[in-house]
Amino acid sequence: MAHETYLLDRSKLANSHTLEVARADGAYAALRKVFESSMSPESVVEEVKKSGLRGRGGAGFPTGLKWSFMPNHESDSRTRYMALNADESEPGTCKDRILMREDPHCLIEGCLIAAFAMRLDAVYIYVRGEYRLPYDRMQSALDEAREAGIVGDNILGSGYSCEIHMHKGAGAYICGEETGLMESLEGKRGHPRPKPPFPAGFGLWGQPTTVNNVESIFNVPFILARGADWFRTMGTETSPGNFLCGISGHVERPGVYEVPLGMSARAIVEDLAGGVWKGRSLKAWFPGGSSTGVLPADMLDTSMDHDSVKAAGSMFGTGAMIILDETASVVRSALILARFYEHESCGQCSQCREGTEWQEQIINRLLSGRGKSGDVELLVDLSNGMFPGKTICALSDAAAIPVLAAIKHFRGEFEACISSPEEVLA
Amino acid sequence: MTKIIVNGREVEADPQKPLIAACHDHGEHVPHYCYHPGLSVVGSCRICQVEVKQGEMPARVVAACRTPVAEGMVVNTESQGAHDSRRECLEFLLKNHPLDCPICDKAGECTLQDYSFQEAQAEGRTSEPRRTLEKRKDLGDVILLDQERCILCSRCVRFMDEVPKSPQLCISGRGSDSVVETWQDAPLTGNYQGNLADVCPVGALTLKDFRFQARVWNLTRVPSTCSECSRGCSISVEVLRDGEVKRMRPRPNEDVNGYWMCDHGRFSEGELNRSDRMGPAAMRNDAGELNQADPDDALRVVRNLLSIQSNALFLASPYLTLEEGEALSQLARSCSTQAAFFSPAANDLGDDVLHTGDPCPNRRGLQDAGLKPMDSEAWAAASASADCVILVGERLLDMLGEEALDGLPSAQRLVVMECRTSNHPAVDVALGVPNRVERSGTWINVDGTAGAIRAARSAPQGVRTIVDLLANLTSASSQPEEALSS
Repeated sequence: MAHETYLLDRSKLANSHTLEVARADGAYAALRKVFESSMSPESVVEEVKKSGLRGRGGAGFPTGLKWSFMPNHESDSRTRYMALNADESEPGTCKDRILMREDPHCLIEGCLIAAFAMRLDAVYIYVRGEYRLPYDRMQSALDEAREAGIVGDNILGSGYSCEIHMHKGAGAYICGEETGLMESLEGKRGHPRPKPPFPAGFGLWGQPTTVNNVESIFNVPFILARGADWFRTMGTETSPGNFLCGISGHVERPGVYEVPLGMSARAIVEDLAGGVWKGRSLKAWFPGGSSTGVLPADMLDTSMDHDSVKAAGSMFGTGAMIILDETASVVRSALILARFYEHESCGQCSQCREGTEWQEQIINRLLSGRGKSGDVELLVDLSNGMFPGKTICALSDAAAIPVLAAIKHFRGEFEACISSPEEVLA
Repeated sequence: MTKIIVNGREVEADPQKPLIAACHDHGEHVPHYCYHPGLSVVGSCRICQVEVKQGEMPARVVAACRTPVAEGMVVNTESQGAHDSRRECLEFLLKNHPLDCPICDKAGECTLQDYSFQEAQAEGRTSEPRRTLEKRKDLGDVILLDQERCILCSRCVRFMDEVPKSPQLCISGRGSDSVVETWQDAPLTGNYQGNLADVCPVGALTLKDFRFQARVWNLTRVPSTCSECSRGCSISVEVLRDGEVKRMRPRPNEDVNGYWMCDHGRFSEGELNRSDRMGPAAMRNDAGELNQADPDDALRVVRNLLSIQSNALFLASPYLTLEEGEALSQLARSCSTQAAFFSPAANDLGDDVLHTGDPCPNRRGLQDAGLKPMDSEAWAAASASADCVILVGERLLDMLGEEALDGLPSAQRLVVMECRTSNHPAVDVALGVPNRVERSGTWINVDGTAGAIRAARSAPQGVRTIVDLLANLTSASSQPEEALSS
């Protein structure tokens, strides 16, 4: 079952992270094409819009449309920024790490095309603090590119200038939320800002800013080099292109696979990842990272694209599948996630600060044999009080959704903790 | 202005302000904790949820403090969805709250308590152990912090950052470990700390001064004006059972003090609660003792004095009201002289927040009333040459210093209208007067804005108002024959 690939092709070359190898493989050709064909910034935005590229950071918002929200440069003379979200911290998600580590030049090229399209003055790349090798590779790629006249003043002799700065996060999940990321970049605590105002109007230091995910930007040079129509030959009508599926958990071959959007989850698990490990059968799976609701085994034929996963009652998220085999406890996995969100809540909003702690306490009690009748109903009720849209950012939603989904599909497991606590403890 | 519909009523809303302000301006109360009209908006407590419908979009529940008003917006503050969201939010806020209302100074004016009664279910559903944190964290001379009661609305942090512009508080820790504290537990400093207890919507930040002093529902609150500088902040004087002034707090007034007052003014109640209050009147007898007297007798003696003396000095306390100043001015004119008011030297409390550094709350008013300012030096010169000195009003003896009376010429007559007693041998006649929380009148502040002071409690038995006393003397001096024949 061969399908066309592009995202990870270069990374299969030795030393793909160096300018020499990357250039020989065509890096910066798309950027040169943009400059040499005298494309206007607007036509670049138009091409990305036409491609139908959707953001790969979790929300699936159309990238070109997001770019077009930047204010008109003639009526708004403020400094313009992009913050590239490389703070990949969602449990299960591990795709941006590969891209930065193996093909940093393609990412830099994507940043520069995006910068040209939105007439940006600077790009900030916010890298998750734990990503040391990816950070170092990005930094040396940036140094090489700057040396080669690709970053900074008068890029490739085009007359266009744009600076790219690296920034290392300090280990908070919330700094991957776009407004938390901007606060953090400004040197403040990563407390998400209420929206409106939106980043395009009031972003970094109050200037027009677009926040994009690494993988979204990584797609851009390919779209510009090969055209929006080519891009649309892959994936589905509403979710075109390929995506990086980081698959983890109980499979034979966990890893990051490049697949077209719309491929069935079953094909990914069984054909690419070698199926559920140890000959066991599937119990449940998360389609796109820890914040997306868990789905039962009988929904594995769901297509992995934004609309299909949504129709199945979950979310595509970052397309990072987490597989649980028949021996796994859904309640225990819910506890692990609840612990994570409790630890990562920034604490601003009442619902999230108290709700994540409460979820964790209740699930913890269930698993230590101290569950009480009514606990499951309470868990559902309080989780419903945490979303949708009741808090400044979506961390509260991200904490509530997996718990609700786990109870929706595996209520019996939760209730068993109350009715037969001795089995849980055993 | 933007036209919006709030609970079925079309109202005009300021497009610069968030939706919650429009609701409040038009009498529709929306619960709130982190929102404060005098501070920046963070939108973190998430209780101010209201239902909003715009155009063809379906109605949705939003945080009113973070929602800009838009033409034609239809707002329902009482929809089921809004109430449900608030109830859920309260349940989260109460989950770790110690519920120690019976021993909390804030009880009775705590919005966590109020909204819980309004919105929340009667019974909590949590059986988890509550967070235990520091209950008595000392934040310096003014404020005590109870971290368990704190709902992390960050009003206090923003107040220190934005109003006195002296960032000293922060929220440290993350998520459920968040607590309010000062950097390395340093005590708070500055002249505006008391406001922290006002902005705190719960009993987390309380005044040491007010700790366990009164249940707030037993306090009578009277709108008045602060006396401690010429800013004349609008305040509320809070009196326990017609007795002690227990607390003074700022009253919102956009033109003068916004929502704030300084600690110097806030904690000036000690002076008002002093026990050495002057009774209605006292006169020196032949044996040289100052004895209680009937105020009518005392007034008769003063009238006689004024009719005999040719060179009387009328000196007013800087706390006299405009009305009292006018009455004194009239009396002085009837004695063919000009009254003065004591003009105390500026202190070093002036800042660019509120405090002007001028201790005289009614300088403009007294000048308008025709009184001339008199500093210590001018007082020393004028009092040395006067036949008779009439001191009128509270705190004047303290401001002049009793030692200033030591050197007065022995033949000189001294009449004192004061709130407190004085046993100084120079005093011939003393008349008790009400202090600034026992009488009503007008002060004119540094910018020419009038501020009313109002009686918040009764004056000591038999004590007459200053206007009453002065009018009595004036009518007598303008009709000396009648006065002398009576």
